[in-house]
Amino acid sequence: MQSPAFLVLALVVVFPLIYSINLSLRQFSLVIPGRTGQWAGLDNYRRMLHDADFGASLITTLTFVVVAVALEAVLGTSLGILLDRLVRLRRTITSVLLLPMIVTPLIVGLMFNFAFNAQFGYATWALEVLGIETDQGLLNKGSTALAVLIAVDVWEWLPFIALMVMAGLRALPASPFEAASLDGASAMQTYRYVMLPMLKPVIGVAVLFRATEAVREFDKVFVLTGGGPGSSTTVNDLYQYRVSFLNWDLSYGAALGMTTFVAVLAICALVYRVTTRMDARV
Amino acid sequence: MTTTQAQVRPNPLGSRSKSAGLAFLLLVLGVLYLSPLLWMVLTSFKNRVDIFSSTPRLTFAPTLDNYREAFQENGFTTNLLNSGVVALLTTGIALLVGVPAAYQLSRSKSKLGGIYLLGLLAARLLPAMVLSVPLFVLATKLGLSGNYVAVVAAHLTFSIPFTVWMMRSFFLSIPPSLDEAALLDGCGEFGVFFRVVLPLTKGGIAATTVFCLINSWNEFLFALVLTGRDTATLPVAVPTLLTPIGTFWGQIAAVGTVTVLPIALFAFLVQKYIIAGMTGGALSSD
Repeated sequence: MQSPAFLVLALVVVFPLIYSINLSLRQFSLVIPGRTGQWAGLDNYRRMLHDADFGASLITTLTFVVVAVALEAVLGTSLGILLDRLVRLRRTITSVLLLPMIVTPLIVGLMFNFAFNAQFGYATWALEVLGIETDQGLLNKGSTALAVLIAVDVWEWLPFIALMVMAGLRALPASPFEAASLDGASAMQTYRYVMLPMLKPVIGVAVLFRATEAVREFDKVFVLTGGGPGSSTTVNDLYQYRVSFLNWDLSYGAALGMTTFVAVLAICALVYRVTTRMDARV
Repeated sequence: MTTTQAQVRPNPLGSRSKSAGLAFLLLVLGVLYLSPLLWMVLTSFKNRVDIFSSTPRLTFAPTLDNYREAFQENGFTTNLLNSGVVALLTTGIALLVGVPAAYQLSRSKSKLGGIYLLGLLAARLLPAMVLSVPLFVLATKLGLSGNYVAVVAAHLTFSIPFTVWMMRSFFLSIPPSLDEAALLDGCGEFGVFFRVVLPLTKGGIAATTVFCLINSWNEFLFALVLTGRDTATLPVAVPTLLTPIGTFWGQIAAVGTVTVLPIALFAFLVQKYIIAGMTGGALSSD
C-alpha cells in the first residue's frame, strides 16, 4: 500500500533532486544567451568559494537563526511554564498563541512592514511616543532592519516553544515534584533541578525544529525588507532566489541549493548525535 | 492527574483569589500580542485618509471600499479560488497516497521501512528553495509552468512526508492485535484497514487534513515560482499591491484579512487537531 506514495515522491522529490545535481554541473539558463546546458564540471561549486555575497548571506542567516531561536527558546520556555498554571483559561490562551504561527507568513511580513512604515506605521508612532528615536524608520537602516526581522520572527514563533513546553509539562509525572516539595525545595530550586531537566528533550526537539525552519526563512524577508537596505537582511534563501530567478543563473542557483541542503542535513545529524550523547551522560 | 500536579508544583502566579484580575491582565496582554493582526483587520475597513494618518486612528467611519476594489475590480476573487483549489487538491492527493503508506509503515519492522522513514525525514528538512529550481526548469520544459499541476506537485513534496509521519504515529497507537483479530474474523487486508483501523484514527486524519490545508494555503515560494497570471494564489498576488508608484495598504489589509480568516476559524474550532499536528502527533494528549 505504500507504493503510490513512493512513486509520487520519486517523481516530485527524488527525480528533481537528481536533475538539480545534474543542472549544478552545467551552465544552464533559460534567459542568458550561450548557456544551453554545456558541461561545467565543478565550476559552479568552485565559484561559491569566491562569492563574497554568498558569504555575507551565510553570516546574515547565521545571525538571524542564532539570535531569533535563542530568544524564542528562553522567552517561550518561560511563557510556557507561566501559562501552564492557568488550567481554566488553557483553551483561550492556546487559541491566542496559535494564531501568530499559523497565519500566512507572507501576510505577517506585510503586517509588520505596514506597522514599521516611517510615515504612518503605528509601531513607529508607538516607539516615538515612548521616546525612542527611529530616524527614517527602523526598516531603512541595516542594523535595525535585521533587529525588526528577528523581532517579527520571535513574535511569530515564541508561542510554538511555549505550546510545546505546555504540552510537555502536561505529560510529566507528579512524583518528582512531590518528592522535591517533601524535601523542602524552594520554587526556584524545583524549576532549576526538577522541571527543566525533565523538559529538556521537549525543548531540544522544539529548538531543532525551529532552527531548521529559520534557516530557510524567505517569505517574511521578501516582503518586509526585500533583503535591504543594501544587503543587510539578505538571508541565504533570498540570495538564492535572486541568483536563480532574478539573474536567471539557474545552474549556480542549483549548486547553492544542493550545498545548503547537504549542510542542513549534516548540521541536523550532528546536533542530533550531540544531544542524544548528552542525554545518555546525564 | 493534572490536579495533583497543580497542587504540588510551585505556583508562579500566586493565589486563586487574584484570578479575576489575572484574567483581565491576560486579556489585555493577549489583545496586545495580537494587535498586529487586529490592526490589519481595522485597516481593511478604513478609507485612505484614515490609513495614512500620522497618528494611528482607532475610531473611524468604516467602509467596504477596500474589499470592493480588491475583489471586484482587481481580480483577487480568482486568487482566492486558486488558493482553495491548490490546497484542496494537494491535501486530497497527500491523504490518498500518504495514509495507506503510513499504515503499512506502522505495521512493518523491515529495514527498508526504516530507511524509507529516514528518507521522509530528510525530505521534510529539504528547503523549498532547493527544489524550486529543478521544479521550475522541469515545469517550463514540460509546458506545465503556470497551471495547477506544477504547484500541486511542489506542495506534495512537503505534504506527503508530513502525512506519512503524522499518520504513522497515530497508527502506532492502535495495537496490531486488533488487526489480527479482524483478520481471524475473516476481514481481508483492505477490510482491516478501511473498516477497523481507519475509523479509529478519525482524529488523526482530521489533524493531518487541517495541517495540510493550512500549509498549502500559506505556501509562498513554490507558488511564486510555479504559478502564472491565471493560477496565482493569494500569497503570490498580494505583494503585487506593493508598486513603485505607491502601496495600496487598504487593499493589502482587505486581502490579508480574507487570507487569514479561514485560518483563524481553524485555530478556534479545531484547536486540538492543530496542536496535534504541530507536535507531530507525539504530544497529543486529548
